[in-house]
Amino acid sequence: MAAIELTGLTKRYGEVVGIEDLTFSVEEGEIFGFLGPNGAGKTTAIRTLLGLLSPTSGTARVLGTDVRDESALVDAKRRIGYLPADLGFDEGATGEQILDLHGVIKGDSRREALLARFDPPIERQVREYSTGNERMLGIVQAFMHDPDLVIMDEPTAGLDPLKQERFHEFLDEERERGTTVFFSSHVLSEVRQVCDRVGILRDGRLAALEDVETLLSRGGKRVRIRVEGSLDPDALALPGAFDTESVGEALAFTYAGEYNVLLSRLTEFDVIDIEIGEPPLEDVFMHYYGEEGEADEGESAARRAEVADA
Amino acid sequence: MLELARFEAERRRKGTAALVVGVSVVAAFFVGLFPSIEGADVDIDAMLEAYPPAMQEAFGIATLSTIEGFLAVELYGFVWLLLLGLYFAYSAAGLIAADVERDRMDLTLSLPVSRSRVLGEKFLTLLVPILALNAVVPVVVYASTAAIDHPIDPVALLTVHALSIPYLLACAGIGLVLSVVLDRADVARRLAIVVVFVLFLVESIAATTEDLEWLGYASPTYYYDPTAILVEGSYDLTGMGVLLAATGVLVLASKLRFERADVGA
Repeated sequence: MAAIELTGLTKRYGEVVGIEDLTFSVEEGEIFGFLGPNGAGKTTAIRTLLGLLSPTSGTARVLGTDVRDESALVDAKRRIGYLPADLGFDEGATGEQILDLHGVIKGDSRREALLARFDPPIERQVREYSTGNERMLGIVQAFMHDPDLVIMDEPTAGLDPLKQERFHEFLDEERERGTTVFFSSHVLSEVRQVCDRVGILRDGRLAALEDVETLLSRGGKRVRIRVEGSLDPDALALPGAFDTESVGEALAFTYAGEYNVLLSRLTEFDVIDIEIGEPPLEDVFMHYYGEEGEADEGESAARRAEVADA
Repeated sequence: MLELARFEAERRRKGTAALVVGVSVVAAFFVGLFPSIEGADVDIDAMLEAYPPAMQEAFGIATLSTIEGFLAVELYGFVWLLLLGLYFAYSAAGLIAADVERDRMDLTLSLPVSRSRVLGEKFLTLLVPILALNAVVPVVVYASTAAIDHPIDPVALLTVHALSIPYLLACAGIGLVLSVVLDRADVARRLAIVVVFVLFLVESIAATTEDLEWLGYASPTYYYDPTAILVEGSYDLTGMGVLLAATGVLVLASKLRFERADVGA
């Protein structure tokens, strides 16, 4: 059985499309990344999966339960953890009071273990929390009842790199435990690090459904290089290199070709500085899932959806 | 069950305590005023006769020369009927709308709880201040009237408090409906105050205008009359039934609406 199954899931707000005809499944035990720029409809999709929004058409099943069936979904939620993008904790309550409330309603068998790992100051009121601490409290409540499925909306937003790293390690362990994890992100590097599979959302539609490996090989790397002397842009016009531009004395381009070809060509130069990193998510979209020139249109549609997401 | 209600009530504990203390002080203050009014060298009831009928109706003015009549106007007609009615309508109007607006509802509904349970338990939390007020203030009123040697009839006093519970719940019910219909909490709260106040005015005016008396039936104030209870000793149990039924209808309507609504769309 699929942990999450969307069938033509559509949510419109009047004329504005939030998500349109989403059809895909997330298998049990999988870590699934839901990737897209801000405003693509990720939050709308997640909130529809949780029954907060009712689908305009189509439907979805989470843990085998139709999201339109409230009473069945309430039962299923005992086995679901949720980490929203905007954590709506009662600011006047302490972290402990909040965990107590969640605990009596859904269970808290893993609470202590999680608190040992993520350590928000639970004796303090939430209004005194930093963004990072609030996020930690959110992670603890999302996992503390040992759910089978955890849905997270931009889980690492507001976490410092060290804590992000700790969280990614934790997700790896969750995979070992067999927990299904569905999370949205607009950061490609995060998704590549922890996910098995990725769904890419663009303007409310599913633009691609890929293994992470495939996605990355298509996305290529962003290369930025500075050499002794001047560098002719054409000198690096290798197969798989595109978007070449001069940045001051440096040359930057996106490279999706064979790494060895690039590396052996680079030996011909006296390299002063080089950076090889993830390409911006927008580049991945533009070159692999959209036509040239569609970017502007996409942006305005994304803005429309963002209004709807708010 | 009731975990959400308990959590919310806990969160409101300080507010409830402040409200009870504040209203108790006001009640004792009014009682303390009474001897000087009674002892004044004017026929205050004759002066009241000159008040416009709508005003007499609005605050249930029958007599100010007895402690019952005096408190029926100053404390129960003004503080209980009007101010607390507005307060609980205002509070109820924030119950759902404020949580939705501040993204708290997402997290609450991620718990294995139905929407109707969330709504019901939130509404129940308002019973805490309502019951606390009606438990503490009558004791304060009785003790302070006894202290000035004008002890109020305890049966009438308990009745006026007991029957105010359905009245305040009905006012809260009006707020609750607005809380699920409107997205913005401050709009819902303001509108709740306006609605309850307008109903209060309409009932006052309608009661003194023969052709329009039926208009007053829409107002909760029509069904709860502190003056009749305290001064005449007459209890309107039908009115209480109407208020409870109206509360039930308002809560049910809110539940139906909330169950179908997109949360935070």
